[in-house]
Amino acid sequence: MSAFTLPSASLLSQSVLSGIFVGALYGLMGLGLSLNWGLLRLINLAHFAFAFLAAYLCYELASRGLDPLLALAAIVPLFFAIGAGLQGLVARFAITPFNSLLLTFGLTGIVEALIQSIWTADFRKLESSYAQQKFKVGTLFVPVPELITLVLAVAISAAVWAVLRYTDLGRALRGAAEDAPIAAAFGVNQKANALLLAGTCAALASIAGVCLALSFTLAPSQIYAWIGVVFAAVMLGGLGRALGPLVAGTLIGVSEAVTMAVTAPSWAPMVSFTLLIAVLVLRPGKSA
Amino acid sequence: MSAGAFPSAAEPLLEVRDLEVAYGVAPALWGVSIEVRAGELLSIVGPNGAGKTTLVNAIAGIQPVRAGHLVLAGRDITRLAPHRFCAAGIAIVPEGRRLFTSMTVRENLELGSYLPAARAQRRESLAAALALFPALETRLASPAGELSGGQQQMVAIARALMARPRLLLLDEPSLGLAPLIVRDLFAAVQRVNEEGMAVLLVEQNVAMAMAVADRAYVLEEGRIVGAGEPQALLARPEIQRTYLGV
Amino acid sequence: MKRTPIAIVGAGVALAGLPLLGLPPFYDSLLYLMLHWIVLATSWNILSGYTGYFSFGHGAFFGAGLYTTSTLLARFDWPFLWTLPVAALVAAVLGVALGAIVFRVKGVRGELFALLTLAVTFVIGTIVGNTPLDGGQGVSLSAVPVPPIGPKASATFYLLALAAATSTLMIAWGVAASRFGAGLFAIHDDEDAAEVMGVPTYRYKLMALAISCALAGAAGGIHALFLSYVTVGEVFTIAVPLTVVLMSVLGGTRHWAGPAVGAIAITGLLYSFTAADHAIAGKAATGAILIAAILFMPDGILPRLQRVLGRRRTRLPSAAPAQPTASALPTAAEAVVAAPGDASARDRRGATVRVGAVLLQVRGLDKRFKGIHALSAVDVDVRRGEILGLLGPNGSGKSTFINVVSGHYAATAGEIRFEGRTLTGEPAHRIAAAGIARTYQIPRPFAQFSVVDNVALAAMFGGAVADPAAARREAMTWLEFTGLAGRAEARPDALNLHQRKFLELARALASRPRLVLLDEVLCGLTPSETDAAVALIRRIRDQGATIVFVEHVMRAVMALSDRIVVFDHGLLLAEGAASEVMKRPHVMTAYLGTAAVAGARP
Repeated sequence: MSAFTLPSASLLSQSVLSGIFVGALYGLMGLGLSLNWGLLRLINLAHFAFAFLAAYLCYELASRGLDPLLALAAIVPLFFAIGAGLQGLVARFAITPFNSLLLTFGLTGIVEALIQSIWTADFRKLESSYAQQKFKVGTLFVPVPELITLVLAVAISAAVWAVLRYTDLGRALRGAAEDAPIAAAFGVNQKANALLLAGTCAALASIAGVCLALSFTLAPSQIYAWIGVVFAAVMLGGLGRALGPLVAGTLIGVSEAVTMAVTAPSWAPMVSFTLLIAVLVLRPGKSA
Repeated sequence: MSAGAFPSAAEPLLEVRDLEVAYGVAPALWGVSIEVRAGELLSIVGPNGAGKTTLVNAIAGIQPVRAGHLVLAGRDITRLAPHRFCAAGIAIVPEGRRLFTSMTVRENLELGSYLPAARAQRRESLAAALALFPALETRLASPAGELSGGQQQMVAIARALMARPRLLLLDEPSLGLAPLIVRDLFAAVQRVNEEGMAVLLVEQNVAMAMAVADRAYVLEEGRIVGAGEPQALLARPEIQRTYLGV
Repeated sequence: MKRTPIAIVGAGVALAGLPLLGLPPFYDSLLYLMLHWIVLATSWNILSGYTGYFSFGHGAFFGAGLYTTSTLLARFDWPFLWTLPVAALVAAVLGVALGAIVFRVKGVRGELFALLTLAVTFVIGTIVGNTPLDGGQGVSLSAVPVPPIGPKASATFYLLALAAATSTLMIAWGVAASRFGAGLFAIHDDEDAAEVMGVPTYRYKLMALAISCALAGAAGGIHALFLSYVTVGEVFTIAVPLTVVLMSVLGGTRHWAGPAVGAIAITGLLYSFTAADHAIAGKAATGAILIAAILFMPDGILPRLQRVLGRRRTRLPSAAPAQPTASALPTAAEAVVAAPGDASARDRRGATVRVGAVLLQVRGLDKRFKGIHALSAVDVDVRRGEILGLLGPNGSGKSTFINVVSGHYAATAGEIRFEGRTLTGEPAHRIAAAGIARTYQIPRPFAQFSVVDNVALAAMFGGAVADPAAARREAMTWLEFTGLAGRAEARPDALNLHQRKFLELARALASRPRLVLLDEVLCGLTPSETDAAVALIRRIRDQGATIVFVEHVMRAVMALSDRIVVFDHGLLLAEGAASEVMKRPHVMTAYLGTAAVAGARP
């Protein structure tokens, strides 16, 4: 049986910090997925494929000398267009949420094949000026790429939250998600809003992808490794809630990190999935 | 009070001509024609399943129409996309309220005034709504799903008023509510109507519907079977038979 | 219909001779994989395709079987073939344990169930990977000898997989053709309606899950030795469930052979791409096919093929359907309980029949929903052989009353006794079995069943007819009774509203109820259709059933009811003979308001 070792305080706090960082990425990845599912009733598995495609594009541009953060300026609008275009096509067919899961799984396979055909299955690591930089705060090391991810995750989640909470557009989206015909009766053009929302979700995926590229090594097969834990963050955080994935993701990330520090890294997946099972069994109504 | 030009005295505000609606294979309305005049309170009564909700939903743009015309102040709106009906000047208080239960009362009211014209007058509309329903003042921050049935009905009516319509549609507002609350609600509706808003009221509660109406229609099995002054209609034996079977 | 199992077994036997042809091992392996996926996809379909509970946990059960075998082989030196039944058993137990908890939670269906089962896969995988079962290194089985069933090792695996595939297909066919399978398909179309009709949904789902897991476990056991080196990463992933979903959806989830068609197609496709060195393109092609299938062929290949080839679904037995005789329902004679002073009713011979003792007794019935008090201390007696009307304005509690008595809702307080037996708190399917049937105001037929099969289901579960063929014959008699015999093979969505209401009636009658609850059967019908329905309801009572109906069409209420009960805001307002009650002042006020109210406008 694996041994339980109590780590030192500094090791534990470094673990917690790295858990926060990876949790922020879970949250950023989950945000678009959660909005898509909660507000448009589409379970978009291809979200992960888009993130990785953006990650690879960023890698490609970086290897030609472009700063990854500047690359965002090109990547984000591109994926916005892809997301909106996809929504426009799919809206013609009346698809149940479950079938959207299967459909987007098919799309994931296509995108994965595309990635593999261009960049092969070899591992790729983005080399950037950020990669080597880190701060020291007290006894803690704060790597810059992870910090960028955290800042982006918090800022974007907060911005989305504010839009949903305080603007007329946000109210229209929330109202239409609950009762589309009545929202339309008060003037909400759900078709147009859906295009906007789908494009935004894809754009969010692309930002998450760039953050992914900054910190992690890329391989096409890795697309699937994130699905489980990000779904856990999305469901724990409550569908369609802007801050949900971030909070839940951080919770999962920290629990995983602490588990890894106390036992062995291979036990980490237990945390997120056991939490997910518990949420689904105890409060299924709240998740969906 | 209402936005837009008033139609001439001769021309009705809303004209429904030979409306036909079907749900798949089941026809619900067979060539229904009614008119709503500016400033009046019109009641449509009829037994359950007569097609009252279908008619109201068709006028609000929620229910697609198979044949016939909807003409609002001289403009044919039949083929408009559903989200354009509100801009034309129609607001609905749907059957069963259909509030956005995940949102607060205030957010429901704000969503009622989503369109630009209504949004510009949001503050005044909100003040007017609270004057009409003082009980809502303390409940603005509550999630709409937590209110009692009567309060939810108030919110639903207020939400529609926030859209600054020319024609207010009310679908069975008394459903499931205690008589005292129903009385207060109808009093509020009358006040709104007295200030000049045209109201189309659909009700199964014949008593209340006739008490407040200027004119009334009787709808039965998808067809208009009676029209005219409420008093005269109530006295007719066939109406008594329809409702009491005697 | 019995030709199918013979054909399956025959094909299995014929294919068993393949190794004798001496093909290169490549073909043995390819065919092994095809058969392996046939087992996995078909077994998955028995739960997920038939009931609609799409599980993403098939990898967990497959993995459980795989690791059971590898542990028994590597640690305990068991003979290989003996590990297979154990592997199946372990997987089945795991599945039933999971299902016992999850199926109790009402909200977990659809995509939530899929995610839950996926999460379970990862949890089990992590546990296996961190314990001596695998320990993170994988388990090597290279030292274990392959039983000499075929001429060479690859042939042995092929034969084992062939045996597994043949058995799995037999089981899948057998389930689909049985009463159990009919219940599963009903759960797929409308679980709540199925439960109310008498299908024991919880038990059936567990049984389907157990069978599905056992077959997957056995396949896992075989695969363990085939791989000869097992790792957690191979098995406890999203890949296995997604692949079986793809194969089944592509082939058609409603048909027992659909997943097999999909498995052969996908395996063949992927292999041809890999063989041509285009594995990547193969992955893309698979994705594109899935998209096309979801958008354009949501039912799958097999049903489309069947339609193109003009093959019909199972026909009715050609024997003439029995007449609706007195033996079909409790006879008028049985319904008679002579008692002085009872009101009378007529039987079909025109002689008066005495309406009898109390059949249904409701005392103090109370039902609250969130914030709404739908029923308040309601006391009602329903006598055998009578037609009782429930009236009242919308929202007065009439439909809630029917929903509580039929078990669709549980009562908040009060007691319901039927034929002397307390039914309060019983699950809906037990109430149906006790002899109470209901129709829905908005008809809820099972969309993917034909008209006759809809009624046959009711005969099988409400009426306890065991054999599907006999049930179908009985169903035809009820269709004759309601005039729908000409539309027997049609789908419900091809019927008009009037026909759909009569289908509801036929379904209610097929379970041979003593008490029939009708919820606004006449709503939306034309006057002539209403007259036909009224006549039919009278005939139903004449056959011996007791009827309680909710109705607004006053003409019909006057014509049909012996007694009426008026509800108002959840309370019982009045009770008695129809024409007399409706003339009472407070009832008139509740409906029309007083003359004074109707007159003045404040």
